Amino acid sequence: MNRIRQYLFTISLVILLSGCSSFKGPLYPDIIYNNRQPLISVTYEYGEIQLILPLRYDAAVPDNILFKVFAQGDTLRPIISILQEAPKEFLAYLPQGVLDIQNSTNLIKIIPQDKNFDPVTVRFKGISFGRIVLPPKTIRIGQLVVSGNTYFNSNDSMITNVDVSIQNFDNVIYTTRSNELGFYQLAIPGEYRYAEHLRVVAGENLIFKPYTKKLDFSNNRKLKLDIGIGPSRDMVEPIYLTNKDNVHFRDGPEIGSETLFLLKEGEAISVDRVTLGEYFGSIEVEIDNSKRVKMKGWINRGDLRLVNMHNVYRLPKGN
Amino acid sequence: MQTIKFSLVILFGITFIFPQIKLDVNTIPKKVDIHLDGVNIGSSPIRNERITPGVHKFEIKKKGYAPLTYDLLVNPAQAIELDFFLNPIYECKFKTEEKGLVFELNGEHRWDVDLVRLKLEAGDHLLRVFKIGEIIDEQTIRVDQPKKYNYFLKKPLGLSN
Repeated sequence: MNRIRQYLFTISLVILLSGCSSFKGPLYPDIIYNNRQPLISVTYEYGEIQLILPLRYDAAVPDNILFKVFAQGDTLRPIISILQEAPKEFLAYLPQGVLDIQNSTNLIKIIPQDKNFDPVTVRFKGISFGRIVLPPKTIRIGQLVVSGNTYFNSNDSMITNVDVSIQNFDNVIYTTRSNELGFYQLAIPGEYRYAEHLRVVAGENLIFKPYTKKLDFSNNRKLKLDIGIGPSRDMVEPIYLTNKDNVHFRDGPEIGSETLFLLKEGEAISVDRVTLGEYFGSIEVEIDNSKRVKMKGWINRGDLRLVNMHNVYRLPKGN
Repeated sequence: MQTIKFSLVILFGITFIFPQIKLDVNTIPKKVDIHLDGVNIGSSPIRNERITPGVHKFEIKKKGYAPLTYDLLVNPAQAIELDFFLNPIYECKFKTEEKGLVFELNGEHRWDVDLVRLKLEAGDHLLRVFKIGEIIDEQTIRVDQPKKYNYFLKKPLGLSN
């Protein structure tokens, strides 16, 4: 009986299923695509580069500075130019991807709008986006330069190997020596520009009184100064030189006569007359910092020595 | 050890040369596995993933939707956001009472029974009808939902409930 029920149930199930299947129909085996273009949205978000360059100023600050930022070694077309009052920090925003991120071919050109300053260049390696903080850069006033030739006053011929120095009060800032063409050049930091006791001193290695001249850079950072050494052509021979400092140059030979000048060692005297204990002659005195006039007077014989113009260099100490 | 060092150097080099870009991926529908260059990067929505500039292949598969493959040239940028809209597949019925016809969809799928169930990607499909080897009808079916289509010779495809 149970077996008959089982058969009936199975037959009913088969009829039911085949009936449903015939109603639904067969399923096509593949999915049918039409290769429609998918809908896709792509949104980019671009960053920016924040460029920071701290600045320091040494001694002086220019009023305005022109900053130019160049990228990828192109020094003709800046990607940005900014003129602003001298800031403590240069800040610029650049678009993403403009800088060379492989090498330090990007640069900031700092151009102070002041002729006392020289342009400064800062090279740096870029990033794609984000912040770059560069090491601080010091903006210095430009160097002060004095250059020229050393020559003999007597015949205008070049004289070589003359010690030339720049001094502030008696502090030697920098020393050089004229070359085989008589040319010299000295450069000192710009902070000395307004020093009031700046001078050039030349010929300390010569037998003559050293040449001294006050320097004034207030109008120009670069000075041309030719330095004449020794007695001028107006001084006729025989020429004597004082052999020590503080030599009395008097208006008469007698004791008690007035001292006109105290001469330094190496001062040239063109001797006209000789007495038993005195020489009478003329010296050159510079007035108004350029014009030289001759003055006559008396000097004790023991304070002078005859000049050998064939060798004007001092002997090294010890010889 | 040498190999590990070498790999680290290469990895560092690649990271250095090709800075990474933040990647976000959204899909409709959600919770779909995303394969980037053959690697499963997770289920959508994807947030704060990284990608390098250059060409990359996205592959997205989900049951009930047409698989999507997309080649993208990624430009250097800070971030990129991708939205993918998957195309659904609908189950439709196709019925006719005409005799001796052969039906073809999109030039490659054929049947000759009077009732068939089809899985069709949403969008337009080209239906061509043949009789004794000749085309006797051609029309476009627009699929945008599960439907039952009743075909009558040379008449626009009708819908039936």
